[in-house]
Amino acid sequence: MPTIDVDYSQLEALLGVSIGGDMEKLDDILSFVKSEVKNYNKAEGVVSIEVKDTNRPDLWSVEGLTRALRGYLNLEKGLKQYTSGDSATVVNVDKRLSTIRPYIACSLIKKIRLIDTTIRGLMNTQDKLDRTYGRNRQKTSIGIYDLDLIVPPLNYTVAKPSEFSFVPLGFSEKLTLAEILERHPKGVEYGHIVKKHTVYPILLDSEQKVLSFPPIINSNDLGKVTEETQNLLVEVTGTVQQTVLNTLNFVTMALIDRGGKAYASTINYPEDSVYASRKTTTPDFSNKQWDLDVEYTNRLLGLQLTAKQISELLLTAGFNIGAVNEKKVEVLAPCYRTDIMHQVELIEDVAIAYGYNNIEPLWRELPTTGKARPEQRLLDTARELMVGLGYQEISTYTLTNPESLFAKMNIDGSEPKNSERANRVEISNPKIVTMTCLRNWLLPSVIEFLSNNQSVEFPQKVFELGKITVPDAAAETRVRDEEWLAAASSHMNAGFSEIKSVLDAFFTNMGAAWQIQATSHPSFIEGRTGAVMVNNVDVGVLGEVSPLVLEAWKMENPIAALEINIQKIIEVKQALKRK
Amino acid sequence: MVELRENEIRILAALDKLDGKASIEQLMLEVELQDAAIMRSALTLQEKNLVHIHASIETWIKLTNEGQIYAESELPERRLISAVLALGGKADLNEAAKKAGLEPSFSQIALGWTQRKKWATFDSKTSTLLVSLVPKEGSDEKLLHSFCNKEKVTMAELSPELKAATGILKKRTLLTVEDKTERILEITKDGEKAIEEGAINLIFGVKEVTQLTPELIIKGEWRNARFQKYNIEAPVAKTWLGKKHPYLSFLDEVRAKLVSLGFKEMTGASVETAFFNFDALYTPQDHPARELDGIYFLKDPEYGDINAYQTAVENVGKTHEDGWKTGSTGWGYKYSKREAERLILRGHGTCLSARTLLSKNLEVPSKHFSIARVYRPEVVDKTHLSEFNQVEGIVVDEKLNLRDLLGVLGKFALEIAGADKVRFKPDYFPFTEPSVELSAYKEGYGWVELGGSGIFRPEVTEPLGVKVPVIAWGLGVDRLFMMRAGMDDIRCIFSQDLDWLRKKEVT
Repeated sequence: MPTIDVDYSQLEALLGVSIGGDMEKLDDILSFVKSEVKNYNKAEGVVSIEVKDTNRPDLWSVEGLTRALRGYLNLEKGLKQYTSGDSATVVNVDKRLSTIRPYIACSLIKKIRLIDTTIRGLMNTQDKLDRTYGRNRQKTSIGIYDLDLIVPPLNYTVAKPSEFSFVPLGFSEKLTLAEILERHPKGVEYGHIVKKHTVYPILLDSEQKVLSFPPIINSNDLGKVTEETQNLLVEVTGTVQQTVLNTLNFVTMALIDRGGKAYASTINYPEDSVYASRKTTTPDFSNKQWDLDVEYTNRLLGLQLTAKQISELLLTAGFNIGAVNEKKVEVLAPCYRTDIMHQVELIEDVAIAYGYNNIEPLWRELPTTGKARPEQRLLDTARELMVGLGYQEISTYTLTNPESLFAKMNIDGSEPKNSERANRVEISNPKIVTMTCLRNWLLPSVIEFLSNNQSVEFPQKVFELGKITVPDAAAETRVRDEEWLAAASSHMNAGFSEIKSVLDAFFTNMGAAWQIQATSHPSFIEGRTGAVMVNNVDVGVLGEVSPLVLEAWKMENPIAALEINIQKIIEVKQALKRK
Repeated sequence: MVELRENEIRILAALDKLDGKASIEQLMLEVELQDAAIMRSALTLQEKNLVHIHASIETWIKLTNEGQIYAESELPERRLISAVLALGGKADLNEAAKKAGLEPSFSQIALGWTQRKKWATFDSKTSTLLVSLVPKEGSDEKLLHSFCNKEKVTMAELSPELKAATGILKKRTLLTVEDKTERILEITKDGEKAIEEGAINLIFGVKEVTQLTPELIIKGEWRNARFQKYNIEAPVAKTWLGKKHPYLSFLDEVRAKLVSLGFKEMTGASVETAFFNFDALYTPQDHPARELDGIYFLKDPEYGDINAYQTAVENVGKTHEDGWKTGSTGWGYKYSKREAERLILRGHGTCLSARTLLSKNLEVPSKHFSIARVYRPEVVDKTHLSEFNQVEGIVVDEKLNLRDLLGVLGKFALEIAGADKVRFKPDYFPFTEPSVELSAYKEGYGWVELGGSGIFRPEVTEPLGVKVPVIAWGLGVDRLFMMRAGMDDIRCIFSQDLDWLRKKEVT
């Protein structure tokens, strides 16, 4: 969810109501646009606001937030119509861009007074749009320049990486495009977007001066905006035309809100099938018409609103209303409401304007029967038996690492596919080194838990009933979860007979006959390890934990432990019952 | 005659044998009891005026490892001076240190002490040491020598000069000084009298019994025994019982509540395809939640199998592209089936709801819930976990609307959270519209965000073949549990602290 930092005094000024530093009040106001105060730095006068709606980039600036709130605060109903003056420049697009970064949109802003906080707010908005809406500049990226240094028309063209050079923002020497990708921090961060191409996008003015190397970096000469800058050129390039146009709108509107006057530009596209038309004018502030079905609105909200009431509520929510009859309300959605994909968006705005807390909740008794998952009763029984045997239940993470699952359990786990024991489900993008795969057996979780409690009073007896995950080529998701039970007793005299006795009591009470079969397991002491068999099916293991394992976990007391596949036991029991 | 317990008699007898006076250590050897047991009995004997306990504090001085080395081989400064003298009274520092067998790191320390003790002159320009005569043995050296093979000495043994020197050596961490209480037990006049009167013989007379044994019961010997009176106020060893995990017990309770409200439990695997986790829930394929820092991807295999849902996949794809016949504009991009097959660790339990909606056996009306382990690539801290449990569900019926949604949420707040008041706020999820955030007020806790919910978008239900409205809800059970348990650290859910689990009261 995007969080934006806004200047408190600007927020209050643009909102047109006094908040008096009352963050609860501000929170209530912001709830109309699904946003909330995350932090208020009183000393610096900065409010951090979280905008929950990831599909409303129009809200990611102080201008946009306040624009959306005007109606709810009864300041101004209906949509805000933005306009731009006639085309004042031309951008010619090179055909070779059609497979690289085909689209561009451009606007000019004149006579704007930029103060420090405005510039910071502008940068903040630009960054949010580039990162989130522009998908880290992959889809769109924004460039802002000092218009007075540029001689139109512009050429959006391409250049060879090792032949073309200019001075990038923040540098004092000329670098080739290839060098920028190597040496400039932005080149390092975003270079992957263009690297696969043989030529890179470049934006030039009519005198061949470089504006920028989209989507990487502006030039140091033209791409610097300061408090002295009076006229701006805004440009957005990208791979999805609608997103490019929307992004240009968001930035241009914020600058108009700041007192600037916008002028359009004409984009001349080459002849290529990717372009729907050869000539477009940007920005495009035209509204979109929607027909809202009155019956559908009431059906979804459980209300009995008239078309007129709905119209009033939509005006509050910042829409304009066209023709209205009993069945249908014609709604004009402003260009900045790029989130509207379906009538349901309008209907939700009707409900928000009506007030969620003014709607009477309804609890309908439905003829349904509740039911826990089928295995729940047996899982609960298993837990209760272990509790009765004096074992404390624990709950641990299913995400772990091969070191804990294998190396520290005396198992060769270097290669996942070496053995069934080591075969696990690994994550390709782990966040921390201790959480890189899902556990494929449960005992290490219990041993690890005990190892973290070496200073706690003994005897220690704990158990966990939890999920493990193993590869399974036949499954839809190529893996399978299983419910297992692991238990361990640790104290000076912990040993085989103790844990065998526990398991015996467990099975007696589960109503399952079990047998033990001598087996070998690297985590247990040879000759003190048993395979647990139920109806001749191997369902687990028990024994005295190997001192190699104890040493690896830095533990000083012996451990007797067991691990059984509860799910398999349930299955075997059910199979026996059916016979 | 005074009444004595067995241990008391044994101690009295031992003292008598040791000429009426002995230390605790001596008694431990004699009566084979632990020092704490001897002290307990000694205190009772003192109360009865049979024994007097003399307590004195002894200060023990003990050499450290380094101190022991110097006790044997002299202090480094002495060795340095001896070396200079052996080299003719004038020598280069490094040369002298080498002759003295000092490590380079010690030569500076040794030099420092020769200067402090004024044993030598040092010309720093030429790094030359000049010594004219053998320095007198200092009190610190005398103290070191006084240990001669002993590991420790008491302060009382030392002359005033050596006492003063302990401070110097302590600062050089060559010795440690520790106070230890020494207790001597001595029989009093009354004690002697009791012994004469035959108190000790009691041990051979009526048997005093500590533990009632089967033997005593079977043979009836208990009739002649006297049961030792216990100090029933004395602390006892702790008993640790087995019990369920507090958080899992809480989830059991939530499960039972939901079942009683008519909800049926859904289950599914923790590894899911992107199709059910995202696509079927109208989350576009380039949504930030689907990037590397939004969801965990599987390394191998990377792709699952969604061929069993061909129609649904096609419909979902068309809906993403242009809205299909849902009345939506769609997201306007080229949908990729390959991307839908990506395997991930499920990021929310809503994928189970999507599977239920797609199921051929979906009943109308029906209510479903799941308690699902879900995963997000977060760095674990006080308020974030990388994996946690989500309680989510759906209500399916012909006539559901926003009022029902608020009704369901209100019921949850009341039944599950025991809330006094509820409040609704607009919320956002890619898959519901309208969406509502539920906050509940509880006396003593204030307002707490309890969950999120909404009515599934037509872009979700229609491609899955569902023609009726569906309410989707999720409860912040972790927050609810923390509120109830009075915890402010979410990591307590997967606490690795056995002591906390043992002591956590059952609520």
